[in-house]
Amino acid sequence: MAVAEQHRGAAFTGSTQAESATMVKLRRGGITILRGILFTVISLFFLIPFIWMIFGSLRRETEIFQYLYPLGWHTFFPIEWTLEHYRDIFGMSAEGQRAGLNFGRNLMNSFIVSAGVVVSSLVFNTMGAYFFARLKFPRKNWLLAFVLVTLFVPFEVTMVPLYIVVRYLNLQNTYWSMIVPWFASPFVIFALIQYFRDIPYELDEAALLDGASYLHILRTVIVPLAIPGLVTVSLLEFQFIWNLFYWPLIAVQNQDIQVLQVVISSQTTQEQTFWGRTFAGSALASVPVILIFLALQRYYVRGVASTGIKG
Amino acid sequence: MMIAFLFILPAIINFTVFRYIPIAASVRASFYEYSLLRGLRDFIGLDHYSRMLSDATFWQSLQVTSLFVLYKVPIQIVLSLALAVLLQRETIGAGVVRSAILTPMVTSIIVGSIIWAMMYHSQLGLIQSFLNAVGLPRQAFLSDASRALPAVTVMMIWKDLGFSFIILLAGLKAIPQTYYEAALVDGANAWEAFRRVTIPLLMPVLMFVVVTQAVFSFQVFVPVYQMTRGGPLDSTKVLVYYIYQQGFRFQDMGYASALSVVALIIMVIISYLLMRWLRPQT
Repeated sequence: MAVAEQHRGAAFTGSTQAESATMVKLRRGGITILRGILFTVISLFFLIPFIWMIFGSLRRETEIFQYLYPLGWHTFFPIEWTLEHYRDIFGMSAEGQRAGLNFGRNLMNSFIVSAGVVVSSLVFNTMGAYFFARLKFPRKNWLLAFVLVTLFVPFEVTMVPLYIVVRYLNLQNTYWSMIVPWFASPFVIFALIQYFRDIPYELDEAALLDGASYLHILRTVIVPLAIPGLVTVSLLEFQFIWNLFYWPLIAVQNQDIQVLQVVISSQTTQEQTFWGRTFAGSALASVPVILIFLALQRYYVRGVASTGIKG
Repeated sequence: MMIAFLFILPAIINFTVFRYIPIAASVRASFYEYSLLRGLRDFIGLDHYSRMLSDATFWQSLQVTSLFVLYKVPIQIVLSLALAVLLQRETIGAGVVRSAILTPMVTSIIVGSIIWAMMYHSQLGLIQSFLNAVGLPRQAFLSDASRALPAVTVMMIWKDLGFSFIILLAGLKAIPQTYYEAALVDGANAWEAFRRVTIPLLMPVLMFVVVTQAVFSFQVFVPVYQMTRGGPLDSTKVLVYYIYQQGFRFQDMGYASALSVVALIIMVIISYLLMRWLRPQT
Protein backbone atom coordinates (compact mmCIF):
# COMPACT_ATOMS: atom_id res chain seq x y z
CA MET A 1 0.00 0.00 0.00
CA ALA A 2 2.65 2.48 1.15
CA VAL A 3 4.83 1.77 -1.89
CA ALA A 4 1.92 2.30 -4.28
CA GLU A 5 1.14 5.67 -2.70
CA GLN A 6 4.74 6.77 -3.11
CA HIS A 7 4.62 5.92 -6.81
CA ARG A 8 1.41 7.83 -7.21
CA GLY A 9 2.84 10.76 -5.26
CA ALA A 10 5.95 10.89 -7.45
CA ALA A 11 3.83 11.17 -10.61
CA PHE A 12 2.53 14.58 -9.55
CA THR A 13 4.94 17.49 -10.10
CA GLY A 14 5.08 21.28 -10.01
CA SER A 15 1.85 23.30 -10.09
CA THR A 16 -0.44 20.29 -9.74
CA GLN A 17 1.09 19.41 -6.41
CA ALA A 18 -1.04 21.77 -4.30
CA GLU A 19 -4.23 20.61 -6.04
CA SER A 20 -3.40 16.97 -5.62
CA ALA A 21 -2.72 17.50 -1.94
CA THR A 22 -6.31 18.66 -1.41
CA MET A 23 -7.53 15.81 -3.60
CA VAL A 24 -5.64 13.28 -1.52
CA LYS A 25 -6.95 14.89 1.66
CA LEU A 26 -10.51 14.72 0.33
CA ARG A 27 -10.10 11.12 -0.74
CA ARG A 28 -8.63 10.20 2.64
CA GLY A 29 -11.55 11.95 4.36
CA GLY A 30 -14.01 10.05 2.16
CA ILE A 31 -12.36 6.74 2.95
CA THR A 32 -12.40 7.54 6.67
CA ILE A 33 -16.13 8.31 6.57
CA LEU A 34 -16.89 5.17 4.56
CA ARG A 35 -14.82 3.13 6.94
CA GLY A 36 -16.62 4.68 9.90
CA ILE A 37 -19.99 3.72 8.43
CA LEU A 38 -18.79 0.20 7.66
CA PHE A 39 -17.35 -0.22 11.16
CA THR A 40 -20.61 0.98 12.72
CA VAL A 41 -22.74 -1.38 10.63
CA ILE A 42 -20.51 -4.37 11.44
CA SER A 43 -20.46 -3.58 15.16
CA LEU A 44 -24.23 -3.11 15.25
CA PHE A 45 -24.83 -6.46 13.54
CA PHE A 46 -22.92 -8.21 16.31
CA LEU A 47 -24.16 -6.08 19.20
CA ILE A 48 -27.83 -5.32 18.47
CA PRO A 49 -29.10 -8.59 19.98
CA PHE A 50 -27.33 -7.67 23.25
CA ILE A 51 -28.56 -4.07 23.19
CA TRP A 52 -32.13 -5.26 22.61
CA MET A 53 -31.79 -7.88 25.35
CA ILE A 54 -30.29 -5.63 28.04
CA PHE A 55 -32.65 -2.68 27.55
CA GLY A 56 -35.56 -5.07 27.04
CA SER A 57 -34.90 -6.57 30.46
CA LEU A 58 -35.32 -3.12 32.03
CA ARG A 59 -38.76 -2.18 30.61
CA ARG A 60 -42.30 -3.51 30.78
CA GLU A 61 -43.32 -6.15 28.26
CA THR A 62 -46.10 -3.98 26.86
CA GLU A 63 -43.51 -1.30 26.17
CA ILE A 64 -41.25 -3.75 24.30
CA PHE A 65 -44.08 -4.55 21.89
CA GLN A 66 -45.66 -1.10 21.69
CA TYR A 67 -42.62 0.61 20.18
CA LEU A 68 -41.65 -2.15 17.74
CA TYR A 69 -42.99 -0.07 14.83
CA PRO A 70 -41.78 2.26 13.53
CA LEU A 71 -38.11 1.48 14.05
CA GLY A 72 -36.66 4.21 16.22
CA TRP A 73 -34.94 5.17 19.40
CA HIS A 74 -37.66 3.71 21.62
CA THR A 75 -37.65 0.37 19.83
CA PHE A 76 -34.61 -0.23 21.99
CA PHE A 77 -34.51 2.41 24.69
CA PRO A 78 -36.94 2.19 27.64
CA ILE A 79 -39.24 5.09 28.45
CA GLU A 80 -40.11 3.79 31.88
CA TRP A 81 -37.35 1.84 33.59
CA THR A 82 -38.26 -1.11 35.79
CA LEU A 83 -36.56 -3.95 37.62
CA GLU A 84 -39.73 -6.07 37.79
CA HIS A 85 -38.33 -8.81 35.52
CA TYR A 86 -35.27 -9.16 37.71
CA ARG A 87 -37.49 -9.31 40.80
CA ASP A 88 -39.50 -12.05 39.06
CA ILE A 89 -36.55 -14.24 38.13
CA PHE A 90 -34.97 -13.93 41.58
CA GLY A 91 -38.29 -14.98 43.14
CA MET A 92 -38.60 -11.64 44.94
CA SER A 93 -42.04 -10.82 43.56
CA ALA A 94 -45.30 -12.66 44.15
CA GLU A 95 -45.46 -13.59 40.48
CA GLY A 96 -41.93 -14.94 40.44
CA GLN A 97 -42.60 -17.01 43.53
CA ARG A 98 -45.77 -18.41 42.02
CA ALA A 99 -43.76 -19.52 38.98
CA GLY A 100 -41.20 -21.11 41.31
CA LEU A 101 -38.34 -19.01 39.94
CA ASN A 102 -35.11 -18.72 41.88
CA PHE A 103 -32.42 -17.70 39.40
CA GLY A 104 -30.19 -16.50 42.25
CA ARG A 105 -29.80 -20.11 43.26
CA ASN A 106 -29.15 -21.18 39.66
CA LEU A 107 -26.61 -18.40 39.27
CA MET A 108 -24.84 -19.73 42.35
CA ASN A 109 -24.95 -23.26 40.88
CA SER A 110 -23.27 -21.93 37.74
CA PHE A 111 -20.55 -20.36 39.88
CA ILE A 112 -20.07 -23.55 41.93
CA VAL A 113 -19.76 -25.71 38.83
CA SER A 114 -17.48 -23.26 37.00
CA ALA A 115 -15.25 -22.75 40.03
CA GLY A 116 -15.09 -26.51 40.60
CA VAL A 117 -14.03 -27.16 37.03
CA VAL A 118 -11.56 -24.28 36.76
CA VAL A 119 -9.83 -25.13 40.05
CA SER A 120 -9.65 -28.89 39.50
CA SER A 121 -8.63 -28.39 35.90
CA LEU A 122 -5.85 -26.02 36.96
CA VAL A 123 -4.49 -28.60 39.39
CA PHE A 124 -4.70 -31.73 37.26
CA ASN A 125 -3.89 -30.24 33.86
CA THR A 126 -0.90 -28.40 35.27
CA MET A 127 0.38 -31.67 36.72
CA GLY A 128 -0.24 -33.47 33.43
CA ALA A 129 1.41 -30.78 31.31
CA TYR A 130 4.39 -30.73 33.70
CA PHE A 131 4.72 -34.50 33.26
CA PHE A 132 4.82 -34.19 29.46
CA ALA A 133 7.01 -31.09 29.34
CA ARG A 134 9.59 -32.06 31.95
CA LEU A 135 9.53 -35.53 33.49
CA LYS A 136 11.22 -38.67 32.15
CA PHE A 137 9.04 -41.70 31.62
CA PRO A 138 9.24 -44.75 29.32
CA ARG A 139 6.85 -44.57 26.32
CA LYS A 140 5.85 -41.02 27.19
CA ASN A 141 4.87 -40.43 23.56
CA TRP A 142 2.27 -43.17 23.76
CA LEU A 143 0.71 -41.49 26.75
CA LEU A 144 0.75 -38.17 24.91
CA ALA A 145 -1.02 -39.80 21.97
CA PHE A 146 -3.56 -41.30 24.40
CA VAL A 147 -4.31 -37.77 25.65
CA LEU A 148 -4.27 -35.92 22.34
CA VAL A 149 -6.48 -38.40 20.46
CA THR A 150 -9.32 -37.28 22.72
CA LEU A 151 -8.98 -33.82 21.13
CA PHE A 152 -10.63 -35.32 18.08
CA VAL A 153 -13.51 -36.95 19.90
CA PRO A 154 -16.50 -34.89 18.84
CA PHE A 155 -18.09 -33.26 21.81
CA GLU A 156 -21.85 -33.10 21.35
CA VAL A 157 -22.00 -36.50 19.67
CA THR A 158 -20.60 -38.19 22.78
CA MET A 159 -23.15 -36.69 25.19
CA VAL A 160 -25.44 -39.74 25.05
CA PRO A 161 -22.50 -42.14 25.61
CA LEU A 162 -21.22 -39.94 28.44
CA TYR A 163 -24.65 -39.99 30.05
CA ILE A 164 -24.64 -43.81 29.98
CA VAL A 165 -21.35 -43.84 31.92
CA VAL A 166 -22.32 -41.10 34.38
CA ARG A 167 -25.57 -42.90 35.11
CA TYR A 168 -23.68 -46.13 35.67
CA LEU A 169 -21.49 -44.30 38.21
CA ASN A 170 -24.71 -43.01 39.77
CA LEU A 171 -23.60 -39.39 39.44
CA GLN A 172 -26.59 -38.12 37.44
CA ASN A 173 -28.51 -35.29 39.06
CA THR A 174 -25.55 -34.15 41.19
CA TYR A 175 -23.06 -31.29 41.04
CA TRP A 176 -20.43 -33.97 40.46
CA SER A 177 -21.95 -34.93 37.13
CA MET A 178 -21.33 -31.37 35.89
CA ILE A 179 -17.78 -31.12 37.29
CA VAL A 180 -16.10 -34.53 37.22
CA PRO A 181 -16.13 -35.19 33.43
CA TRP A 182 -14.13 -31.99 32.83
CA PHE A 183 -11.44 -32.06 35.55
CA ALA A 184 -8.86 -32.79 32.89
CA SER A 185 -8.87 -31.39 29.37
CA PRO A 186 -6.72 -32.37 26.38
CA PHE A 187 -6.90 -28.76 25.08
CA VAL A 188 -5.59 -27.32 28.33
CA ILE A 189 -2.84 -29.92 28.70
CA PHE A 190 -1.78 -29.30 25.10
CA ALA A 191 -1.70 -25.51 25.60
CA LEU A 192 0.14 -25.72 28.92
CA ILE A 193 2.83 -28.01 27.48
CA GLN A 194 3.68 -25.21 25.04
CA TYR A 195 3.87 -22.63 27.83
CA PHE A 196 6.01 -24.89 30.08
CA ARG A 197 8.47 -25.66 27.30
CA ASP A 198 9.31 -21.96 27.05
CA ILE A 199 10.61 -21.95 30.63
CA PRO A 200 14.42 -22.43 30.75
CA TYR A 201 15.33 -25.99 31.71
CA GLU A 202 18.32 -24.82 33.78
CA LEU A 203 15.95 -23.48 36.43
CA ASP A 204 14.32 -26.76 37.36
CA GLU A 205 17.48 -28.81 36.76
CA ALA A 206 19.29 -26.68 39.34
CA ALA A 207 16.44 -27.15 41.81
CA LEU A 208 16.44 -30.89 41.15
CA LEU A 209 20.15 -31.08 41.96
CA ASP A 210 19.43 -29.29 45.21
CA GLY A 211 17.16 -32.19 46.07
CA ALA A 212 13.80 -30.47 45.55
CA SER A 213 10.83 -32.74 44.82
CA TYR A 214 8.89 -32.57 41.54
CA LEU A 215 5.91 -31.09 43.30
CA HIS A 216 8.07 -28.45 44.94
CA ILE A 217 9.65 -27.50 41.59
CA LEU A 218 6.24 -27.34 39.95
CA ARG A 219 4.97 -25.02 42.68
CA THR A 220 7.99 -22.77 43.10
CA VAL A 221 9.59 -22.68 39.63
CA ILE A 222 7.16 -23.64 36.87
CA VAL A 223 3.82 -22.24 38.04
CA PRO A 224 5.07 -18.72 38.93
CA LEU A 225 6.69 -18.40 35.50
CA ALA A 226 3.64 -19.67 33.62
CA ILE A 227 1.05 -17.33 35.18
CA PRO A 228 -0.01 -15.68 31.87
CA GLY A 229 -0.54 -19.10 30.33
CA LEU A 230 -2.49 -20.30 33.35
CA VAL A 231 -4.69 -17.17 33.26
CA THR A 232 -5.38 -17.77 29.57
CA VAL A 233 -6.41 -21.39 29.95
CA SER A 234 -8.48 -20.68 33.07
CA LEU A 235 -10.34 -17.99 31.19
CA LEU A 236 -11.11 -20.31 28.29
CA GLU A 237 -12.06 -23.12 30.63
CA PHE A 238 -14.38 -20.83 32.63
CA GLN A 239 -16.10 -19.62 29.51
CA PHE A 240 -16.47 -23.17 28.20
CA ILE A 241 -18.01 -24.51 31.37
CA TRP A 242 -20.16 -21.44 32.18
CA ASN A 243 -21.73 -21.65 28.72
CA LEU A 244 -22.34 -25.39 28.67
CA PHE A 245 -25.96 -26.25 27.92
CA TYR A 246 -26.52 -29.69 26.44
CA TRP A 247 -24.67 -31.63 29.12
CA PRO A 248 -26.36 -30.09 32.21
CA LEU A 249 -29.69 -30.29 30.36
CA ILE A 250 -29.47 -34.09 30.21
CA ALA A 251 -27.33 -34.79 33.30
CA VAL A 252 -29.41 -32.82 35.83
CA GLN A 253 -33.20 -32.79 36.22
CA ASN A 254 -33.35 -31.27 39.69
CA GLN A 255 -34.01 -27.52 39.23
CA ASP A 256 -32.40 -26.73 42.60
CA ILE A 257 -28.95 -27.69 41.38
CA GLN A 258 -29.48 -26.83 37.71
CA VAL A 259 -27.24 -24.16 36.15
CA LEU A 260 -28.47 -20.80 34.88
CA GLN A 261 -28.05 -21.54 31.16
CA VAL A 262 -30.60 -24.35 31.33
CA VAL A 263 -33.25 -22.64 33.46
CA ILE A 264 -33.32 -19.49 31.30
CA SER A 265 -34.27 -21.63 28.34
CA SER A 266 -37.36 -22.86 30.21
CA GLN A 267 -38.87 -19.34 30.20
CA THR A 268 -39.63 -19.67 26.50
CA THR A 269 -41.77 -22.62 25.48
CA GLN A 270 -43.66 -23.42 22.31
CA GLU A 271 -46.85 -22.14 23.99
CA GLN A 272 -45.68 -19.02 25.77
CA THR A 273 -42.69 -16.73 26.05
CA PHE A 274 -42.10 -14.53 29.08
CA TRP A 275 -40.23 -11.84 27.17
CA GLY A 276 -39.09 -9.67 30.03
CA ARG A 277 -38.00 -12.55 32.24
CA THR A 278 -36.20 -14.21 29.33
CA PHE A 279 -34.34 -10.98 28.58
CA ALA A 280 -33.44 -10.57 32.25
CA GLY A 281 -32.29 -14.18 32.63
CA SER A 282 -30.27 -14.05 29.41
CA ALA A 283 -28.61 -10.81 30.52
CA LEU A 284 -27.79 -12.40 33.86
CA ALA A 285 -26.28 -15.43 32.12
CA SER A 286 -24.20 -13.49 29.60
CA VAL A 287 -23.16 -10.16 31.12
CA PRO A 288 -20.68 -11.65 33.66
CA VAL A 289 -18.80 -13.53 30.92
CA ILE A 290 -18.83 -10.53 28.59
CA LEU A 291 -17.39 -8.29 31.33
CA ILE A 292 -14.66 -10.80 32.19
CA PHE A 293 -13.88 -11.12 28.49
CA LEU A 294 -13.63 -7.36 27.98
CA ALA A 295 -11.33 -7.03 30.99
CA LEU A 296 -9.04 -9.88 29.92
CA GLN A 297 -9.46 -9.74 26.13
CA ARG A 298 -5.70 -9.80 25.52
CA TYR A 299 -5.28 -13.19 27.24
CA TYR A 300 -8.40 -14.50 25.63
CA VAL A 301 -7.41 -13.65 22.06
CA ARG A 302 -3.94 -15.06 22.57
CA GLY A 303 -5.37 -18.27 23.97
CA VAL A 304 -7.78 -18.87 21.11
CA ALA A 305 -5.21 -17.92 18.48
CA SER A 306 -2.57 -20.25 19.87
CA THR A 307 -4.62 -23.32 20.68
CA GLY A 308 -7.76 -23.14 18.61
CA ILE A 309 -9.98 -23.73 21.64
CA LYS A 310 -13.52 -22.77 21.07
CA GLY A 311 -15.86 -21.92 23.92
CA MET B 1 9.53 -42.93 38.04
CA MET B 2 6.37 -44.01 39.81
CA ILE B 3 6.21 -40.53 41.30
CA ALA B 4 6.35 -39.08 37.77
CA PHE B 5 3.43 -41.30 36.78
CA LEU B 6 1.33 -39.89 39.61
CA PHE B 7 1.41 -36.53 37.85
CA ILE B 8 -0.33 -37.82 34.76
CA LEU B 9 -2.55 -40.38 36.49
CA PRO B 10 -5.56 -38.11 37.17
CA ALA B 11 -5.70 -37.01 33.52
CA ILE B 12 -5.37 -40.62 32.32
CA ILE B 13 -8.23 -41.68 34.59
CA ASN B 14 -10.38 -38.80 33.37
CA PHE B 15 -9.83 -39.55 29.69
CA THR B 16 -10.34 -43.28 30.21
CA VAL B 17 -13.55 -42.96 32.21
CA PHE B 18 -15.16 -39.95 30.51
CA ARG B 19 -13.88 -40.11 26.94
CA TYR B 20 -12.83 -43.64 25.99
CA ILE B 21 -15.24 -45.74 28.02
CA PRO B 22 -18.33 -43.77 26.84
CA ILE B 23 -17.45 -44.59 23.26
CA ALA B 24 -16.91 -48.25 24.10
CA ALA B 25 -20.15 -48.26 26.13
CA SER B 26 -22.13 -46.78 23.28
CA VAL B 27 -20.73 -49.27 20.78
CA ARG B 28 -21.85 -52.02 23.15
CA ALA B 29 -25.23 -50.42 23.82
CA SER B 30 -25.83 -50.11 20.09
CA PHE B 31 -26.15 -53.91 19.89
CA TYR B 32 -28.81 -54.09 22.62
CA GLU B 33 -32.33 -53.10 23.40
CA TYR B 34 -31.55 -50.39 25.91
CA SER B 35 -33.83 -47.86 27.56
CA LEU B 36 -33.22 -45.51 30.46
CA LEU B 37 -36.17 -46.95 32.35
CA ARG B 38 -35.44 -50.65 31.95
CA GLY B 39 -31.70 -50.71 31.32
CA LEU B 40 -29.80 -53.07 29.05
CA ARG B 41 -32.01 -55.94 27.80
CA ASP B 42 -31.85 -58.28 24.80
CA PHE B 43 -28.87 -58.53 22.50
CA ILE B 44 -30.17 -57.72 19.03
CA GLY B 45 -26.96 -57.62 16.98
CA LEU B 46 -27.04 -55.16 14.11
CA ASP B 47 -30.78 -54.52 14.21
CA HIS B 48 -30.34 -50.85 15.17
CA TYR B 49 -28.00 -50.34 12.24
CA SER B 50 -30.32 -51.99 9.73
CA ARG B 51 -33.21 -49.93 11.16
CA MET B 52 -31.17 -46.82 10.37
CA LEU B 53 -30.96 -47.78 6.69
CA SER B 54 -34.73 -47.63 6.35
CA ASP B 55 -35.27 -44.74 8.77
CA ALA B 56 -36.34 -41.80 6.60
CA THR B 57 -35.91 -39.34 9.50
CA PHE B 58 -32.29 -40.43 9.94
CA TRP B 59 -31.56 -39.73 6.26
CA GLN B 60 -33.44 -36.45 6.50
CA SER B 61 -31.32 -35.47 9.51
CA LEU B 62 -28.12 -36.30 7.62
CA GLN B 63 -29.27 -34.14 4.74
CA VAL B 64 -30.24 -31.23 7.00
CA THR B 65 -26.92 -31.43 8.84
CA SER B 66 -24.93 -31.46 5.58
CA LEU B 67 -26.92 -28.51 4.23
CA PHE B 68 -26.27 -26.59 7.43
CA VAL B 69 -22.51 -27.24 7.23
CA LEU B 70 -22.43 -26.38 3.52
CA TYR B 71 -24.30 -23.08 4.06
CA LYS B 72 -22.49 -22.05 7.18
CA VAL B 73 -18.83 -22.90 6.82
CA PRO B 74 -18.05 -21.22 3.45
CA ILE B 75 -20.02 -18.05 4.27
CA GLN B 76 -18.47 -17.80 7.71
CA ILE B 77 -14.91 -18.33 6.45
CA VAL B 78 -15.24 -15.79 3.62
CA LEU B 79 -16.79 -13.19 5.95
CA SER B 80 -14.23 -13.69 8.69
CA LEU B 81 -11.36 -13.50 6.21
CA ALA B 82 -12.77 -10.25 4.79
CA LEU B 83 -13.18 -8.82 8.28
CA ALA B 84 -9.70 -9.94 9.31
CA VAL B 85 -8.20 -8.18 6.26
CA LEU B 86 -10.29 -5.07 6.95
CA LEU B 87 -9.40 -4.94 10.64
CA GLN B 88 -5.79 -6.08 10.71
CA ARG B 89 -4.40 -2.56 10.69
CA GLU B 90 -4.72 -0.40 13.78
CA THR B 91 -7.05 2.22 12.34
CA ILE B 92 -9.32 4.25 14.61
CA GLY B 93 -12.15 2.12 15.91
CA ALA B 94 -10.74 -1.20 14.68
CA GLY B 95 -10.27 -2.37 18.26
CA VAL B 96 -13.91 -1.65 19.08
CA VAL B 97 -15.14 -3.56 16.03
CA ARG B 98 -12.91 -6.50 16.93
CA SER B 99 -14.39 -6.62 20.43
CA ALA B 100 -17.90 -6.42 18.96
CA ILE B 101 -17.20 -9.38 16.66
CA LEU B 102 -15.90 -11.44 19.58
CA THR B 103 -18.78 -10.70 21.95
CA PRO B 104 -21.23 -13.30 20.55
CA MET B 105 -18.45 -15.87 20.68
CA VAL B 106 -17.93 -15.52 24.43
CA THR B 107 -21.68 -15.52 25.10
CA SER B 108 -23.37 -18.87 25.52
CA ILE B 109 -24.96 -20.47 22.52
CA ILE B 110 -28.22 -20.84 24.45
CA VAL B 111 -28.47 -17.09 25.07
CA GLY B 112 -27.73 -16.47 21.39
CA SER B 113 -30.44 -18.95 20.40
CA ILE B 114 -33.00 -17.50 22.81
CA ILE B 115 -32.45 -13.89 21.73
CA TRP B 116 -32.38 -14.67 18.01
CA ALA B 117 -35.53 -16.77 18.31
CA MET B 118 -37.19 -13.69 19.81
CA MET B 119 -35.77 -11.46 17.08
CA TYR B 120 -37.16 -13.84 14.44
CA HIS B 121 -40.61 -13.93 16.10
CA SER B 122 -43.22 -13.67 13.37
CA GLN B 123 -45.26 -10.97 15.18
CA LEU B 124 -43.14 -9.30 17.83
CA GLY B 125 -39.57 -9.89 16.65
CA LEU B 126 -37.11 -7.07 16.23
CA ILE B 127 -36.41 -8.15 12.65
CA GLN B 128 -40.05 -7.36 11.79
CA SER B 129 -39.28 -3.82 12.85
CA PHE B 130 -36.33 -3.62 10.46
CA LEU B 131 -38.42 -5.13 7.64
CA ASN B 132 -41.10 -2.55 8.35
CA ALA B 133 -38.51 0.24 8.23
CA VAL B 134 -37.51 -0.74 4.67
CA GLY B 135 -41.13 -1.14 3.61
CA LEU B 136 -41.46 -4.93 3.70
CA PRO B 137 -44.38 -6.83 5.24
CA ARG B 138 -44.05 -9.20 8.20
CA GLN B 139 -42.33 -12.50 7.49
CA ALA B 140 -42.31 -15.83 9.29
CA PHE B 141 -38.82 -17.24 9.77
CA LEU B 142 -38.63 -20.11 12.23
CA SER B 143 -42.15 -21.33 11.47
CA ASP B 144 -41.56 -21.47 7.73
CA ALA B 145 -40.06 -24.78 6.55
CA SER B 146 -38.05 -23.14 3.76
CA ARG B 147 -36.64 -20.37 5.95
CA ALA B 148 -36.01 -22.03 9.32
CA LEU B 149 -32.67 -23.61 8.42
CA PRO B 150 -31.23 -20.44 6.82
CA ALA B 151 -32.44 -18.48 9.87
CA VAL B 152 -30.63 -20.86 12.23
CA THR B 153 -27.56 -20.67 9.99
CA VAL B 154 -27.44 -16.86 10.17
CA MET B 155 -27.60 -17.00 13.95
CA MET B 156 -24.80 -19.56 14.10
CA ILE B 157 -22.59 -17.51 11.76
CA TRP B 158 -23.17 -14.52 14.05
CA LYS B 159 -22.17 -16.69 17.01
CA ASP B 160 -19.11 -18.49 15.58
CA LEU B 161 -17.60 -15.84 13.32
CA GLY B 162 -15.38 -14.49 16.11
CA PHE B 163 -13.56 -17.80 16.40
CA SER B 164 -12.47 -18.05 12.75
CA PHE B 165 -11.88 -14.28 12.76
CA ILE B 166 -9.33 -14.35 15.63
CA ILE B 167 -7.44 -17.27 14.15
CA LEU B 168 -7.31 -15.78 10.65
CA LEU B 169 -6.30 -12.41 12.09
CA ALA B 170 -3.40 -14.04 13.95
CA GLY B 171 -2.48 -15.85 10.72
CA LEU B 172 -2.52 -12.61 8.71
CA LYS B 173 -0.34 -10.84 11.25
CA ALA B 174 2.19 -13.65 11.06
CA ILE B 175 2.81 -13.03 7.33
CA PRO B 176 6.02 -10.96 7.00
CA GLN B 177 5.41 -7.51 5.50
CA THR B 178 8.40 -7.98 3.13
CA TYR B 179 6.42 -10.50 1.04
CA TYR B 180 3.82 -7.86 0.25
CA GLU B 181 6.47 -5.29 -0.56
CA ALA B 182 8.14 -7.76 -2.93
CA ALA B 183 4.82 -8.42 -4.67
CA LEU B 184 4.14 -4.69 -5.04
CA VAL B 185 7.61 -4.11 -6.48
CA ASP B 186 6.76 -6.82 -9.04
CA GLY B 187 3.80 -4.63 -10.04
CA ALA B 188 1.04 -6.59 -8.36
CA ASN B 189 -2.08 -4.68 -7.30
CA ALA B 190 -3.77 -5.23 -3.95
CA TRP B 191 -6.04 -8.02 -5.22
CA GLU B 192 -3.18 -9.88 -6.90
CA ALA B 193 -1.05 -9.56 -3.77
CA PHE B 194 -3.96 -10.95 -1.76
CA ARG B 195 -4.34 -13.91 -4.12
CA ARG B 196 -0.68 -14.69 -4.66
CA VAL B 197 0.76 -13.86 -1.21
CA THR B 198 -1.96 -13.86 1.43
CA ILE B 199 -3.97 -16.91 0.40
CA PRO B 200 -1.07 -19.35 -0.13
CA LEU B 201 0.69 -18.30 3.07
CA LEU B 202 -2.56 -18.40 5.02
CA MET B 203 -3.50 -21.84 3.67
CA PRO B 204 -2.49 -23.91 6.73
CA VAL B 205 -4.49 -21.59 9.01
CA LEU B 206 -7.45 -21.58 6.61
CA MET B 207 -7.35 -25.36 6.52
CA PHE B 208 -7.37 -25.53 10.30
CA VAL B 209 -10.35 -23.19 10.48
CA VAL B 210 -12.32 -25.01 7.78
CA VAL B 211 -11.78 -28.43 9.35
CA THR B 212 -12.57 -27.35 12.92
CA GLN B 213 -15.63 -25.35 11.82
CA ALA B 214 -16.93 -28.22 9.70
CA VAL B 215 -16.54 -30.62 12.63
CA PHE B 216 -18.09 -28.19 15.15
CA SER B 217 -20.93 -27.33 12.81
CA PHE B 218 -21.69 -30.96 12.13
CA GLN B 219 -22.50 -31.31 15.83
CA VAL B 220 -24.95 -28.40 16.01
CA PHE B 221 -27.62 -29.03 18.64
CA VAL B 222 -28.50 -26.15 20.94
CA PRO B 223 -30.01 -23.65 18.45
CA VAL B 224 -32.20 -26.38 16.99
CA TYR B 225 -33.31 -27.49 20.46
CA GLN B 226 -34.11 -23.94 21.50
CA MET B 227 -35.35 -22.27 18.31
CA THR B 228 -37.24 -24.90 16.32
CA ARG B 229 -37.23 -28.31 18.06
CA GLY B 230 -36.29 -29.75 14.69
CA GLY B 231 -39.35 -28.32 12.93
CA PRO B 232 -41.20 -27.20 10.97
CA LEU B 233 -41.69 -30.48 9.09
CA ASP B 234 -38.27 -31.76 10.22
CA SER B 235 -36.65 -29.02 8.14
CA THR B 236 -34.11 -28.29 10.89
CA LYS B 237 -33.85 -31.75 12.42
CA VAL B 238 -30.06 -32.10 12.55
CA LEU B 239 -28.38 -35.38 13.46
CA VAL B 240 -27.42 -34.57 17.06
CA TYR B 241 -30.95 -33.31 17.77
CA TYR B 242 -32.34 -36.56 16.37
CA ILE B 243 -29.97 -38.53 18.62
CA TYR B 244 -31.15 -36.50 21.62
CA GLN B 245 -34.76 -37.11 20.66
CA GLN B 246 -34.31 -40.86 20.32
CA GLY B 247 -32.35 -41.17 23.57
CA PHE B 248 -34.11 -38.77 25.90
CA ARG B 249 -37.56 -38.17 24.41
CA PHE B 250 -38.33 -41.67 23.09
CA GLN B 251 -36.17 -43.36 25.77
CA ASP B 252 -34.45 -45.51 23.14
CA MET B 253 -30.83 -45.40 24.28
CA GLY B 254 -29.85 -48.37 22.15
CA TYR B 255 -30.84 -46.68 18.92
CA ALA B 256 -29.43 -43.34 20.12
CA SER B 257 -26.11 -45.10 20.80
CA ALA B 258 -26.06 -46.66 17.34
CA LEU B 259 -26.75 -43.21 15.85
CA SER B 260 -23.93 -41.72 17.95
CA VAL B 261 -21.52 -44.37 16.71
CA VAL B 262 -22.46 -43.65 13.09
CA ALA B 263 -22.14 -39.88 13.68
CA LEU B 264 -18.68 -40.43 15.17
CA ILE B 265 -17.57 -42.47 12.17
CA ILE B 266 -18.95 -39.90 9.73
CA MET B 267 -17.10 -37.11 11.51
CA VAL B 268 -13.81 -38.97 11.55
CA ILE B 269 -14.21 -39.55 7.79
CA ILE B 270 -15.11 -35.90 7.14
CA SER B 271 -12.09 -34.55 9.01
CA TYR B 272 -9.81 -37.06 7.28
CA LEU B 273 -11.15 -36.21 3.81
CA LEU B 274 -11.05 -32.46 4.44
CA MET B 275 -7.47 -32.62 5.62
CA ARG B 276 -6.42 -34.71 2.62
CA TRP B 277 -8.33 -32.55 0.18
CA LEU B 278 -7.00 -29.26 1.52
CA ARG B 279 -3.39 -30.27 2.09
CA PRO B 280 -2.04 -30.57 -1.51
CA GLN B 281 -2.90 -26.92 -2.12
CA THR B 282 -0.66 -25.63 0.65
